[in-house]
Amino acid sequence: MGTRRLALAGAALAAVLLAACSQGSATNPDAGAGGTGAGGSVTLKFQSLQDQPAAVEAVKGIVDSWNSAHPETKVELIQAGWDGIYDKLVTQFNGNAAPDIIHYEAASIVPFARDGYLADLTSKVPAELKSDISDGIWKSVTVDNKVIAMPTELQTYVVFANKKLLEASGATVPTGDSMTLEQFRALAKATTKDGKFGLAWGLKSPTATFMSLALTSGGTFFSGTGKEAKINVGAGELAVPKLVKDMAYTDKSIDPVSLTQSGSQALASFYAGKAAMTVQGSFQAANIKKDAPAGLDWVELPPLSGSQGTAQAANPQTLSVNADSPNADKAAEFVAYFANAENMAKLNQADALIPASKKAQDLILSSTGGKDGWDMTMKSAQGLTGAPFLAVDAYTQWKDTIATPSFQKYLANQIDDAGLTQALTEGFTQVNR
Amino acid sequence: MNRTSPPVKALQYLALAAYILFLGFPLLWLVSASIKSSQELAALDMSLLPKQFHWDNYAVALQKQGLTRSAVNSLVVSLLSMVFVVLLSMPAAYALARFKGRLRAVGVGWILVSQVFPVILIIIPLFIILRDVRLVDTLLGLVLVYTTFTMPFALWMLQGFVAAIPTDLEEAAAIDGASRFQTLRRIVFPLLMPGIVATAMFAFVAAWNEFFFALVLIQSPENYTLPVALKMFVGGEGKVALGPLAAGAVLATIPSLVVFSILQRRLTGGLLAGSVKG
Repeated sequence: MGTRRLALAGAALAAVLLAACSQGSATNPDAGAGGTGAGGSVTLKFQSLQDQPAAVEAVKGIVDSWNSAHPETKVELIQAGWDGIYDKLVTQFNGNAAPDIIHYEAASIVPFARDGYLADLTSKVPAELKSDISDGIWKSVTVDNKVIAMPTELQTYVVFANKKLLEASGATVPTGDSMTLEQFRALAKATTKDGKFGLAWGLKSPTATFMSLALTSGGTFFSGTGKEAKINVGAGELAVPKLVKDMAYTDKSIDPVSLTQSGSQALASFYAGKAAMTVQGSFQAANIKKDAPAGLDWVELPPLSGSQGTAQAANPQTLSVNADSPNADKAAEFVAYFANAENMAKLNQADALIPASKKAQDLILSSTGGKDGWDMTMKSAQGLTGAPFLAVDAYTQWKDTIATPSFQKYLANQIDDAGLTQALTEGFTQVNR
Repeated sequence: MNRTSPPVKALQYLALAAYILFLGFPLLWLVSASIKSSQELAALDMSLLPKQFHWDNYAVALQKQGLTRSAVNSLVVSLLSMVFVVLLSMPAAYALARFKGRLRAVGVGWILVSQVFPVILIIIPLFIILRDVRLVDTLLGLVLVYTTFTMPFALWMLQGFVAAIPTDLEEAAAIDGASRFQTLRRIVFPLLMPGIVATAMFAFVAAWNEFFFALVLIQSPENYTLPVALKMFVGGEGKVALGPLAAGAVLATIPSLVVFSILQRRLTGGLLAGSVKG
């Protein structure tokens, strides 16, 4: 009897669940790009990866305003996440089910462009926008002389400082347009006292930071593109890793624990007043403003500068258009609208990132008055330039399997300059076969 | 009588308490993180008890990422996959355990071979097949995929339980005049219940926790399952909304705890003890 009741209950449950399941299925039977409906109206699918609540709202606002102004070309916003997005896009493109408009980042979208999945936007970018974004940033989204994505949001690596600790050490809080690596080192040394470190630098995954800041010293790591790329590790490439190592082991001005932490984790000792400075992605200014203890008087210092100035790698978040979209031209129109200065200022301010266009940067500076680090962040943005690693096919594999563990060993003082150079160079030869 | 001395008993309880703490501590920490503010989560001095209770994380988790809808989707998909896996694997497991022919060897071979291929290898063909039958971005499609991929291991698991039931019992039932169906229903099925429950739990958990298929096959946010929705708290540039993520994870464990508490009562072993003389 019990068995029969159980079987009946199971069957009833399955029936109810199947009904619920088919209800869910009915909501969206078609995957992939939108299409043209009755009366010639067009629906564009826009897969967005925004994760911060304010940025999600900003994107919704932009889409809503487009939809109000363009009733014949509706944009449908599809919210997705960053985690696993590469695999998702690979499947979507191979399964001919990719959305019309794709949000991603320059370093990762390039392989899709090389495989011919992305539309050429070169002639679709409004002239005014084209001239308002630096050549270096355009370079980061150009493949085979074609613009394959619209750069939207960027970040730089900047130094945040505890003003009280800096002043207590007798050091002057740097101002101006830049701070040399030597000044930075001296400042960290001067503020290392009374059980406090001068610097907390979360370098658990150091490659992106080192690749970007190497440009300040002329370190490009790579020359050439695609499979033909060659690696070169010299003084410029080693300048920043060497600086970190010297600060950690000679000056002892870096909290050694922070070298094994992520950027966000390293913020904890900065908040606690155990470190006078911390190097972070510029977007952390918003988190510091939100999470720092009330008494923490913090300031963003001028951008770091090496022998080649304040150059840093531009690896922007991007919007691309699916080359197979039946409405690629309309999608490109939306992308151009999305990237206008007002929209970019609104989105980047919400996401605490840097817009690609100068006009949008000025709008943010004017609305924030340069407070909360925005003045220095925008100064650091002037150095953003295309990085050769973006054009290297094997970069991601090299970064994950060779560069990151090699840099970690170097920072742990297990290998020296020669050992690091050898590991990076030979490792690239292996993965680029 | 072999009585345990009080000191030994105390040590046993101590070890048990330590084990429970070991198992439960991550969950406690998760609950603690879910009710801390972002300031407290970012602070250097950490404590299990929050300085201030911050319930906003739950509101954010529920409102911003559509967690309730994702939880319902996960529950529907997991329960259906569980039902299908159990219904399909029961007869197949019986056949595998009892019939020793060539078919068994083929079946066992199929089970083992099906476990060999990495998911990443088959995801694109699978996506194309599901797209052609209009099952991409549907919960039903996900149910079919989960059933297919959970079946081999569930079958393997369940046939072990069937094999543990002595054939003597079935022969005794046959001698008493029971038909094959009656034997299965009245003798085998009740004795197999712990195995069925264990298989059901396995199928449920496999579907409940699965991320990759759901990520790739589901396109619309209204069809996202919980693991996909929870991953959306992890953003680009290393940004993680830790408080809402912890709150979401706490909420995500509740349905599976309920299902487990219902099923575990039937997970009793020892039913066969003394059933066959000798």
